[in-house]
Amino acid sequence: MQRSKTNTSVQQYYEIMHRYLLPQRGTLIVLALLLFTSIGMQLINPQIIRYFIDTAQSLGDLQPLIMAAVLFIAFSLIQQLISVIATYFSENVGWKTTNTLRVDLAAHCLSLDMSFHKSHTSGSLIERVDGDVNALANFFSSMMINLVGNLLLMIGIIVLLFRESWMIGAGMTIFILFAVYAIQRIRKFAVPVWTGWRQANAEFYGFIGEHLEGTEDVRANGAAGFVMNRFYAMLRRMLPLRVKAFLGFCAMWNTSIFVFALGNATAFAISSYLWHTSNISLGTVYLIFFYTELLAKPIEKIRTQMEDLQKADASIARIRELFATRSAIADGQGEPLPKGPLGVQFRGVTFSYDGDQPTLDHLDLKLQPGEVLGLLGRTGSGKSTMARLLLRFYDPQQGEILLGGANIRSCKLADLRKRVAMVTQNIEIMQGTVRDNLTFYDDSIADTRIIEVLQDLGLGAWYETLPDGLDTLLASGGGSLSAGEAQLLAFARVFLTDPGLVIMDEASSRLDPLTEQRMEKAVSKLLQSRSCIMIAHRLSTVQRADHILILDHGKVLESGKREQLAADPSSRFSQLLATGLEEVLA
Amino acid sequence: MTTFQYLWRLIMYKPLRYVINAIAWTVIYLAPIIPGLVTKEFFDSLTGNAKLGYGVWGIIALLMAATLGRIVLIIIGFITDVHFRFRMGMLLRRNLLEHVLKQPGARAIPVSPGEAISHFRDDVDQSEEAASWSVDVFGMTCFAAVSSYILIRIDAQMTLLVFLPLVLVISAAQLATARLQKYRAASRESTAKVTGEISEMFGNVQAIQVAGAEKRVIERFRRLGDDRRKAMIKDRLMTELLDSIFSNSVNLGTGLILLLAGQKMRAGTFTVGDFALFVYYLTFVTQFISNVGKFITYFKQMSVALERLTFLLQGASAKMLTMAKELHLDNKNAPSDQAAPVEHLHTPLKRLDVDGMSYSYPDTARGIANVQLSLARGSFTVVTGPIGSGKTTLVRTLLGLLPKDEGRIAWNGEPVDDPGTFFTPPQSAYTAQVPRLYSDTLRNNILLGQAEQEGSLQQALHAAVLEEDVAQLPGGLDTVIGPRGVKLSGGQAQRTAAARMLVRDAELYVFDDLSSALDVETEQKLWERMFQRRGDATCLVVSHRKAALARADHIIVMKDGRIEAEGTSAELLQNSTTFQELWYGDEAPAADVAAGEPAKTK
Repeated sequence: MQRSKTNTSVQQYYEIMHRYLLPQRGTLIVLALLLFTSIGMQLINPQIIRYFIDTAQSLGDLQPLIMAAVLFIAFSLIQQLISVIATYFSENVGWKTTNTLRVDLAAHCLSLDMSFHKSHTSGSLIERVDGDVNALANFFSSMMINLVGNLLLMIGIIVLLFRESWMIGAGMTIFILFAVYAIQRIRKFAVPVWTGWRQANAEFYGFIGEHLEGTEDVRANGAAGFVMNRFYAMLRRMLPLRVKAFLGFCAMWNTSIFVFALGNATAFAISSYLWHTSNISLGTVYLIFFYTELLAKPIEKIRTQMEDLQKADASIARIRELFATRSAIADGQGEPLPKGPLGVQFRGVTFSYDGDQPTLDHLDLKLQPGEVLGLLGRTGSGKSTMARLLLRFYDPQQGEILLGGANIRSCKLADLRKRVAMVTQNIEIMQGTVRDNLTFYDDSIADTRIIEVLQDLGLGAWYETLPDGLDTLLASGGGSLSAGEAQLLAFARVFLTDPGLVIMDEASSRLDPLTEQRMEKAVSKLLQSRSCIMIAHRLSTVQRADHILILDHGKVLESGKREQLAADPSSRFSQLLATGLEEVLA
Repeated sequence: MTTFQYLWRLIMYKPLRYVINAIAWTVIYLAPIIPGLVTKEFFDSLTGNAKLGYGVWGIIALLMAATLGRIVLIIIGFITDVHFRFRMGMLLRRNLLEHVLKQPGARAIPVSPGEAISHFRDDVDQSEEAASWSVDVFGMTCFAAVSSYILIRIDAQMTLLVFLPLVLVISAAQLATARLQKYRAASRESTAKVTGEISEMFGNVQAIQVAGAEKRVIERFRRLGDDRRKAMIKDRLMTELLDSIFSNSVNLGTGLILLLAGQKMRAGTFTVGDFALFVYYLTFVTQFISNVGKFITYFKQMSVALERLTFLLQGASAKMLTMAKELHLDNKNAPSDQAAPVEHLHTPLKRLDVDGMSYSYPDTARGIANVQLSLARGSFTVVTGPIGSGKTTLVRTLLGLLPKDEGRIAWNGEPVDDPGTFFTPPQSAYTAQVPRLYSDTLRNNILLGQAEQEGSLQQALHAAVLEEDVAQLPGGLDTVIGPRGVKLSGGQAQRTAAARMLVRDAELYVFDDLSSALDVETEQKLWERMFQRRGDATCLVVSHRKAALARADHIIVMKDGRIEAEGTSAELLQNSTTFQELWYGDEAPAADVAAGEPAKTK
């Protein structure tokens, strides 16, 4: 069991390293060279001190002592310079690699299907894409080089100690092995507690994020106390986790202190013995002592790198988990969709969100290209679900959906989404300019076209009020835009593309009848050579429909040509019309 | 509030814990004094200069005992530190959250939620870090004092000549860190941009996927990441340059000692043991100076963090951040989930008057101007008008969700000074145009802390036409609805928000566009039940649905931010062109839909 664990652990580091560090190998080589030079200097300096002490014991010239001191200082300064240059290179590597990782992670998340996004708050995704990747920054930039470098430093010291006396060399080797073993053991305890803490952190920021968005509701309904209580409950959960996580670090620091004191004691014992028996010089005793002290740095460095590795461990596991999350929607091979208006066909489609009650039940539907379908039904009857299936945000459990004769599962998702446009009543305005919100950063759409569309939709007057025209910044979630205007902007997005099927999911629900009428002309123009599915509550909206389909609990209640159904008094449709009429006459 | 005051107030939040923490860490930092002396003893014993008569084994025993003592102290120190830091950091977050929740609901934070999270997370972490390091500085100062004393006793000249230049060099480097603040602010800003971008990306996934804009959005993200890299490298390089001076000072100091000690060692006035002690303490003293430097850096970062946090407060005093408040970490004191403190007395509404109310959005200068209206008890008033005419703005400004620029509001003739606090249950309850649901059970989403009284929840569900939907949910009312409550359909979300409003007994119910996502039949039921239930509560509704307009006692028609006309629907149909257009549109009434005739244009 444990064996395979270490194997996957090593394997996952190897994979990540290979993919992200390899492109940076030029810089890594430079870093390595700098590091080796630095190590060399660190090994030489103590020799200078030994020479100094021994020469000072004898009553010789003062000159060589001064030379030795100056040389020592010179080497120190050079080492300082090297470390600054090394920082530049290692930071660069760190940022380049983590940026690439972030982009890959974000791109992967964006490609995941709706069921993933509905179950993860954007706050927790920020913790993952930014927080977890940040934890890896050190790993990429300097950890590998430092670990290898420090290992070489340790080996260098051992070799030089063996040169003095086999006893001291052997003693120090045993000491180092013991130190490394002890630190490894402690790590096994510390990693899981750190993961627990990061998870709690992600949840906490998910909670904060949601409430920063919903301040209006909370304020006006006097629910601030409730939110604060939730906050306190989270704190109570988080404190013990944090204490445990930090005790993990504490254990690691303590282990290295203890082990290190043991090393000093060993050095004292052995060098004292050698002093009394083999007549080594005082300078050599100091040399041994100095090298033992010098071992502290690499072991310390290894310890702190281990701590970072601990954080990286937890983060790498979470990142791999994220990458491994496959979209339930697999891209098709690339069957082409025909040009022009697209016909729609649902054949025996059954779908349920959670595997329990089906939202759609053996649904059949046929729409000719260029026709307009009006989809009616109670809320929750499955109307929006049909739209989501058409855009392949989900796949039906049974049955198939054809678009222009092609099974949408075999089309490329990108093609599908280019040819099918959807307008909903969700406000999805991003922080950015008006232009960005309308074109989604597509530079190929000319400004003149954008303004033309805005005017067609009756947003001309609104456009005139914008202080910076299309460059005006809009706040996240719409800000000072009224909900109706935000919806018109969503329409404008569709007009700027060239779909073969337009789905309008209660798209004009926030518009007053007057504005809706004004838009009618533009919508008529839009639908001229396109198919359309209109999901609506308001009967006036489905006025232009050729066909009507009424859904109830996922099954087709009634379907047929609009005119026929309206004329037949026993049809559900005409009953609905009568209800609508009542509200006018009341 | 200066940064120092900020730090002081953070420390004073839990002074006892801070003091205990400081004592623990002071002793921890003093601990290395002993091993230093033991090392000197060892070398002196070899050359025969030993003061104490211990052999090698005695010395080793002394060393290990001191080590074990230090280990125990460190465990204690970690525990005290983590408890102190947690409380301090969470106090800041608590105060920030509470303040944000008290702001006008529609203008609660000046930045996007994603950026605000970066404030909550990183700026508070920085403040915590600086405060925690202050403890370390304290401990290290004690070590520096004690060790300096010991070293001066051995050789005063050496101590001064070695340490003084070091201190000067390092202090000079310290002064150079003034430039650090600029780079730090730049790098924090670029991080916030990246965080904000991630938040936007994942908050609007559906729109991005529908528009097929994934590649472009990612490309933009890549560019922002690169900008951040450049800012961060500048920041790090500056820090490292100064850090290297601090960390190399041990070697430089050792070199200085070598320069000066040569003669004295030959003369025998300076033993190898003394040399070992000097170098040993040198390590710690330079560590001390570099850590003081680090602390000063953290302190400067803290002032950047303070600035950014203050910005989030939108004008409130920064003192608010550090006000001492209870964190309820002790379970026994846990306030109940249902606590809903009554902030003001329940005053039944007789009349609500608004006079000359105006508000304009700072970035677009659109809004409402000079609004005057009166609501009598029990009336059902509808605010209508074309899109963008200011209906939602009117309602929000009245309720204090937007801070009004001008105007007077009077409740039963008494002026209302703070509408944001006044217009909450039991005075009024509100349903926003865009329902916001939270990751919690459906029950909690509706109650939001409201105490459940004698079936009030059931009544609210009935009035909001939600009973059937609840029956169909797998866990009923205890179903957890996902982030932003999106596992519910649009109509269900809207009705949940309505239930949330209705479960609260209020004098005035305000709802904005309640039925946009509802089908005709459900809408009818909703209005009917709403009417049955409301008794003589007063209602103010924003709508253009005929179901609402037909029932209204009084209709207010808005256009371009001003009230254009008022009256009953019959009056307005005769007198107001805007209302006629709203009612009929550009074509004949809905009667034609039934006949299937094409729309007639006027």
